[in-house]
Amino acid sequence: MKKFFANLNTEKKLAGAVFILGVIAIFAGNPYGGAFIKVNEKELALSTVNNSEKISVNDLADWIIKAKADFELIDLRSAEKYNEYAIPNSQCIPLVQLPEADLLRNQKIIFYSDDDVAASQAWFILKSKGYKGVYILDGGLNAWKEKVLFPKAPINGSKDELAQFEKMKEVSKYFGGQAQTDSSVTELTPSFKLPAASTGTQKLGTAPVKRKKREGC
Amino acid sequence: MTSLTKILTHAFEKHEGHVHIKTEAKPYSNPYLVGIGLGLVLLAAFVIMGRGLGASGAISTLVAAGVDKVAPSHAAGNEFYKEYIGDGTTNPLKDWLVFEVIGVLVGGFLSGTLAGRVKKGIEKGPRISSRKRLFYAFIGGGLMGWGAKLARGCTSGQALSGGALLNLGSWAFMMMVFAGGYAAAYFIRRQWI
Amino acid sequence: MNSPFFKFNYFGMDVSLILAFAIGIGFGFALERGGFGSAKILAAQFYFTNMRVLKVMFTAIVTAMLGVYFLSVFGFMDLSLIYIGNTYILPQVVGGLVLGIGFVVGGYCPGTSVVSVSTGKIDGLVYLAGVAAGIFVFGEMFPLIKNFYSSTDMGSLTLPQFFNMSYGFIVFLVVIMALGAFAAAEWGEKKMAAKKSEANS
Repeated sequence: MKKFFANLNTEKKLAGAVFILGVIAIFAGNPYGGAFIKVNEKELALSTVNNSEKISVNDLADWIIKAKADFELIDLRSAEKYNEYAIPNSQCIPLVQLPEADLLRNQKIIFYSDDDVAASQAWFILKSKGYKGVYILDGGLNAWKEKVLFPKAPINGSKDELAQFEKMKEVSKYFGGQAQTDSSVTELTPSFKLPAASTGTQKLGTAPVKRKKREGC
Repeated sequence: MTSLTKILTHAFEKHEGHVHIKTEAKPYSNPYLVGIGLGLVLLAAFVIMGRGLGASGAISTLVAAGVDKVAPSHAAGNEFYKEYIGDGTTNPLKDWLVFEVIGVLVGGFLSGTLAGRVKKGIEKGPRISSRKRLFYAFIGGGLMGWGAKLARGCTSGQALSGGALLNLGSWAFMMMVFAGGYAAAYFIRRQWI
Repeated sequence: MNSPFFKFNYFGMDVSLILAFAIGIGFGFALERGGFGSAKILAAQFYFTNMRVLKVMFTAIVTAMLGVYFLSVFGFMDLSLIYIGNTYILPQVVGGLVLGIGFVVGGYCPGTSVVSVSTGKIDGLVYLAGVAAGIFVFGEMFPLIKNFYSSTDMGSLTLPQFFNMSYGFIVFLVVIMALGAFAAAEWGEKKMAAKKSEANS
């Protein structure tokens, strides 16, 4: 019988502790504050200087043609500009909506805007939230138009440069652009919105991953 | 508390089949301490993975994978199986729950061996035959499997994990499980007491 | 360090599978310790002779709930990243009833049946086969009951959201309810034991 009471005391003690925790809970506040993330400024500053997180437009064009699906391409401009023209397989999330966007952390995220500014802002926002795989399209849409859609023939270029230009001619055709072989400035707008080879501006995240991310029982 | 547990374990031992192991089975641990341990494991799952535990999901994956092996076109046409098989890029068996359930098997064996409780046998009450017990076990399992899919979880996933996260559906589910159990208990009492 | 670790990319999919195995070991170990590998103990819950199921379950829920709550309040854990399934109230209520009946008839739930198999119980194995059969039947029937299955989707709802009270207050209420249930269970068990010893004497 003594043992019984001794045991009961431990249980009563546990019950008391749990009760106190419960009472504290009434006043402890909202648990949805989100995790406190320490932003390591040095680390952030270093990564921009290293250019390790910038992606060139040529590389991106290459990946799209090769149908690589391991990244999310985000267009940060407004919806109207997005509908006018956007890089294939990109998703439109205007910069103002970015904090609310629920982007997956375990994939590469590439931002682009007309130039580098909005992309850098987005990069910083996600970095401060602790995302790891965030990248900027170097030069933005302007560089894309200049180098991929409407590559200019190099004047008096070396053999390598000319070979590179021939390749870019094909690439630009793929994306609906046109190589510029003369030096006159033509109207730099793409001939049609979506090149035939792309699968349209659907969310890249949903296309290859048909298996639902099941976390239930 | 310990004396009560001793009485019950002793009662069960009388009905158990042949004793292979010499060491006497130790009485079960204090349920509250076990509960804390279980709660900490669950908390670890939340902290590490951001998800709770589960069991029926693993079996569903196995069933779906089995159907896929035997009749792939039928599996592909069925929405339910498709969800578990995915699009073929990864092996459906590379599933978190499948690995977790294999761990459960190992963990249960470890604890059972440490306590001398690993014995081949059939758990049943005194007034029922082994054959009938196995029959009921199969039917009960069938009901459970069916109900678990409808409710999107079993007691491990829905009740425990969802309950700790204060999920409304999980609490409703938990209440109904107890209700159903108590309601049916009277009719099945022959099997247990 | 922030949790949930996986959601913050501290490791990838393959490591998570190894962790699943490790967590599973802990899960199975705890279940067996509690006697949940035995159908008789599990079923005894429903005859008021042994209330272990209730005690272990609610203690586990309260422990994990308090852990999640306080970790989140202190900013260590991001609660919004933890998966909470949608509430489909009607199918979950019906499923729960069916599951409860299956629990008493079969004597296990899927998790505990795996534990019972690990300690050599044949009825556990048969039970698991039954579960697989039940799931198979469900899968085959799926086109017919699909609408019911997806009905009454209330979205991802928590108790605080539903009752429009603060999260902390609901935590308190759950603690009170659990403590009350434990007291009732202890009282019930004592009475049953007294009845038993009366009958035996």
